[in-house]
Amino acid sequence: MEGTLRHFVQSVRPLTDATFVIRIDRHGFRALPGQHVTLGPHRSATNREYSLYSSPEAPYLEFLIRARPGSETACALQRAQPGDEVDLAGPYGDFLIERPADPGRRYLFVATGAGIAPFHCFVRSYPSLDYRLLHGVATLADRYEREAYAPGRYVACVSREDGGEYRGRVTDYLREHPVETDRLCYLCGHSAMVARVYDQLREQGVPSDNLLTETFF
Amino acid sequence: MKVAISYPPIVNARGQVAMVSQNRNVQYFKIPTFLLPIVHAQAATWLRDLGCEVRWDDGNAQRKSFETWYEELVAWRPDVVVFESTTPVMKFYWRLVGRLKNDLPKTVVIMTGYHSMRQPEETLRACAVDVVVQSNHVDFVLRRLLPYLGEQADWRTACTIEGLFIRVDENVWRSTGTFKRVEDLNLSPDIDRDLVSWRRYAFENGNFLRTPGTYATSVIRDCTFGKCTFCRYNGPDLTFSVRSVERSLDEYQRLIEEYGVREIFDDSGVWYRGEQARAFARGILDRGLHRRGCYFGFNTRFGYMDEETVALLAKANFRFVLVGLEAADEETLLRLHKGYLPHQAYRNLEVFTRYGLHPHLTIMVGYYWQTAAQLELTVRTVRDLMLKGLARTLQVTLCTPLDFTPYHLECQEAGVLLTDDYDAFDMSKLIVRTPIPHEAYYQAIRDLYGVATDPRFVARQLRYLTSGRARDWEFLFRYGWRALRRVRNHVYNLTSNG
Repeated sequence: MEGTLRHFVQSVRPLTDATFVIRIDRHGFRALPGQHVTLGPHRSATNREYSLYSSPEAPYLEFLIRARPGSETACALQRAQPGDEVDLAGPYGDFLIERPADPGRRYLFVATGAGIAPFHCFVRSYPSLDYRLLHGVATLADRYEREAYAPGRYVACVSREDGGEYRGRVTDYLREHPVETDRLCYLCGHSAMVARVYDQLREQGVPSDNLLTETFF
Repeated sequence: MKVAISYPPIVNARGQVAMVSQNRNVQYFKIPTFLLPIVHAQAATWLRDLGCEVRWDDGNAQRKSFETWYEELVAWRPDVVVFESTTPVMKFYWRLVGRLKNDLPKTVVIMTGYHSMRQPEETLRACAVDVVVQSNHVDFVLRRLLPYLGEQADWRTACTIEGLFIRVDENVWRSTGTFKRVEDLNLSPDIDRDLVSWRRYAFENGNFLRTPGTYATSVIRDCTFGKCTFCRYNGPDLTFSVRSVERSLDEYQRLIEEYGVREIFDDSGVWYRGEQARAFARGILDRGLHRRGCYFGFNTRFGYMDEETVALLAKANFRFVLVGLEAADEETLLRLHKGYLPHQAYRNLEVFTRYGLHPHLTIMVGYYWQTAAQLELTVRTVRDLMLKGLARTLQVTLCTPLDFTPYHLECQEAGVLLTDDYDAFDMSKLIVRTPIPHEAYYQAIRDLYGVATDPRFVARQLRYLTSGRARDWEFLFRYGWRALRRVRNHVYNLTSNG
């Protein structure tokens, strides 16, 4: 169902000082894994696009949000209380897995920061997916809810601290661990990262038809 | 290698010239409106930097007749000619390519644009074009392709640069795969303003209060949101790319200091928002560019600009804000996937005008579902916004399905298209079946533009003079008569073909 509906906040779950998961009631809203919405406080002048973080089958909707200083919408949502109303429109987008049940299909997901949201949604929605997830983060604390991913499939590429699965950027990791060229590769996050990783994967022989990209900033 | 980036003069039966307008629409105008094609201008600059001999060949802006333009192009004997096409001029381009290939059989003709990128095989079937570019990043693709053409004699079969359909022989062509959607715009050069004769585009443009004005090199190419169903910047094949704030500031400074530009408008997509917009405004202030007699303007969406950001932009001498309202009823906004609600439009406009910005609304009428009540609400709302001073100028168009956007595909699926003749897709008349007579939509256009002569609107403009802001005086006394002339032209174009 497309449209703008009134939804109410159920909870705000802090993951770090700046990052949180907001949970709102579903209110009949339907979306496909990988799609996004526009979301903002009720009657606010501003809204922003956020990918669905929870499974579309869950009885609620969740969105992973990073509130940067000065970001009016994200900061207001971070301060939201249970029962507060939000405005939501959508769903939108084509960042989808077309045939998740295809046997033998392997996936590479590459995200930076909160760009991990659609991948969290994918793995919640399609538990049998054969995937590897590279998550570029600055600190160990930014490995948002990594226990949600199957053992051995999640690799945090931590650029500023030791102690994670890999110390460095996702591009460093990919240089050391070239990708099998038959993988379907999904890239989501900062546009500069997306452009760099795209070139890297093309150089490694991944066909352009196997590369899907999503950027929001 | 000699490369022509060409825009032929296209004249219709009424003597109007097809001109690229906002959002890469082609409309026929009697009064000139010259918009610099930003991405193609970046391509021209980049190719020149690579050593190509580039001919910036905009026959419209150069005010040539078609025959003069054509003869000069043929006499120049280019190795490559690049065109930009869109639905209402596709048939013209197909005929033109046939004639050109006949006169210059060795010239490689490359078709770009949002129509052919969605239907490349149609153009390969319909004319003798050599290459169809499927990417919106025309500069990046040409930068990769043209050196390759010069070096590889077997390029038709060997080329693997993605995002192309290449003719192998008369009836065979091949795809090189999906194009790269996100490019690093910092790699594409600033437009060489001299190469593209920028002053030809600096005066005849209704969006400039001060002249000479110009458009900035792509800051955000296409749209951060990219979901409005009628818009070219939407589709599973598109996303947006972004240029760094510092790089963009450098260009603004250069335009002001070296070229004496007095208004800069960024319309290459939806502009920065949030922290990037604030950083840009702070950069303008830090460099003192807000005191150099130049206004700045941008294209945005409702919902993207918070008050803190708008306040900073106003301080940095931003003036013009182009924003797509499209309609005032919730159903239409939802069906168009606009991503905001009517109340947000009011809230945003209140903030813009509180800080002295001049919002320019774009509105469309004639959606295939639009009822009399929805149309009336839109007319009433827009007039209310104008009379309250929440918007300064407006632009109304007939919603025309174009370039295989989601709205275009939706119209095909719903069976509401009244014609499949691309010549009729020129936005001069409605081409979809609607629930009320077409005349009602044409009348709505007259009513909307009629607000410009409403005494209450004029009185409000007079009241603005007490603000002490130069822009308000300029708006009334310098821009006013120009606007009225354009309003008459728009109303004629949009309502006389029905």
